Amino acid sequence: MLFGIKNLTKVYGGRKVLDIPELTLEKGKVYGLLGPNGSGKTTLLEILSFLLPPTTGKIVYDSRKVDFSESFLRGLRTEVIMVEQQPILFTTSVYKNVEFGLKVRKKPKKYRKKIVHEVLDLVGMRGFAEASAHKLSSGETQRVAIARALACSPKVIMFDEPTSNVDVENQIAIEGILRDINVRKGISVILATHNRIQATKLSDRIVFLFNGKPASSIYENIFSGLVRTDGGGNTYCLIHDKVRLVVWTDKTGYVKISVNPEMIKIFPAREVSSGDHGFVGRVIQLTDEGGDVRALVDIGIPISVLIGREEYKKAPILTGERVALVCPPESIEVM
Amino acid sequence: MDLLLDSFISAILLLKSLDAELYAIVLVSLKVASSSTLIASFIGIPAGFAIAFKEFPGKRTVITILNTLLALPTVVVGLFVYTFISRRGIFGPLDLLYTQKAIVIGQVILIIPIVTTFTIAAISHIDDRYRKTAITLGATTLQTAVLIFREGRFGIMAAVIASFGRVIAEVGISMMLGGNAKGFTRTMTTAMALEYDKGEFILAVALGLILLTISFTVNLFFNYLQGRARV
Repeated sequence: MLFGIKNLTKVYGGRKVLDIPELTLEKGKVYGLLGPNGSGKTTLLEILSFLLPPTTGKIVYDSRKVDFSESFLRGLRTEVIMVEQQPILFTTSVYKNVEFGLKVRKKPKKYRKKIVHEVLDLVGMRGFAEASAHKLSSGETQRVAIARALACSPKVIMFDEPTSNVDVENQIAIEGILRDINVRKGISVILATHNRIQATKLSDRIVFLFNGKPASSIYENIFSGLVRTDGGGNTYCLIHDKVRLVVWTDKTGYVKISVNPEMIKIFPAREVSSGDHGFVGRVIQLTDEGGDVRALVDIGIPISVLIGREEYKKAPILTGERVALVCPPESIEVM
Repeated sequence: MDLLLDSFISAILLLKSLDAELYAIVLVSLKVASSSTLIASFIGIPAGFAIAFKEFPGKRTVITILNTLLALPTVVVGLFVYTFISRRGIFGPLDLLYTQKAIVIGQVILIIPIVTTFTIAAISHIDDRYRKTAITLGATTLQTAVLIFREGRFGIMAAVIASFGRVIAEVGISMMLGGNAKGFTRTMTTAMALEYDKGEFILAVALGLILLTISFTVNLFFNYLQGRARV
């Protein structure tokens, strides 16, 4: 077992941002920590990389109970490294940035040189060794930050949204590096992302987080809206004064809802007559997702729909096409 | 206007003639100002760093007091030091009054708040990600502090430049504690004040030109260092 977590909480200013009753992570795997912004992913990563103490709870790392005293943590931090969402490079050359972790570990110069070149090769940045670190693009910065972490030969690397600020070319390169370091070097990887496709593609296992708590699946299509009841006794949620979704709830006032993308029905617009649960919109994006097709449809709000491969073959849709959606009340969870 | 122009031309000629008295004054000024800046930096930079880096009760009060001391008039410092080093003062037997050491003591007191507050500002504005990154890469508290110091070096350089500028241009302390003794404690600013009193503007203007040139050169040098360090 890599990490064992029990009754872990983190409270900021009286607000509980993390509340995990139990979680176990195994060694040598790639874990995807999936959740929307503000779900507690970064806080959990910072706690697991020993940068932040939890408010309450117990953490066991590699069969050692973590007591979060500074002297104890120093030893653990040499094994677990976190690469931030927007990593910062020191005001010096790329080479010296990557060398930093080895220098603080007092490794000999010759060894440092060998490792720095090796890891820069691995991330495809060898040619930038003497470049000024602050002159790199965000994708290059991310790659150097990964090299800097790898140079320390950690057992675990945590990545916080590693591709959220980079272009597609760097995104592909970084995803390749993440896979490589797990497969070739056997490093355990914990990857926080809000990108479901990326998590599915890269992870052996996915941990879903929502509002600081582990969830059984990822909540998608999250919207804020006002719950009202019409003259016919139907309860609905009004989103952005544009879209009315019929919901089953006793709650009133402003709420957050999540619409399960697998339960939304999609049809060519001509086949549907407008009903209580139906909307007409335009397909703005289609992506392949592990055999299924994900359609992003603009119905006044952008809503994501997951279509099974067979279902898609029977009634294929194209981007730009007008479609009708039906969101049955059972597809909507009021949170 | 003619007076200024005549003084300016005569000052240039005086500088060209390598007048011994003029250069003695410049040397005393540089020696005293450099010593004060060096000593104040040795005290103020670590103090500023510690205040910025550590959390302790009363931190805000300390910073407020230091900020208040930035407005300390030189004559107040002069008077304060005078009470300690005059014949009747507790350090009277050390015979410090009207020496270069006395000027240095006064100037150090004057600029310690400058070095300290500028260092606090420089360190406090450093992105917290540097600290987190150093820690996650396995750095000890001392190694992290060294890294943060390195990242804040441009701001700290600015603290040193500002302090040097303050002491080389001050007149109150040099006059009250140095006494403007020719060849010993006569600095550029005290000499300028004296020449003005005598109605002799040529030496005063020449010294003014040198003072500005020194400030410009020092700033140019630090700019060059900063440019190199940023690579």
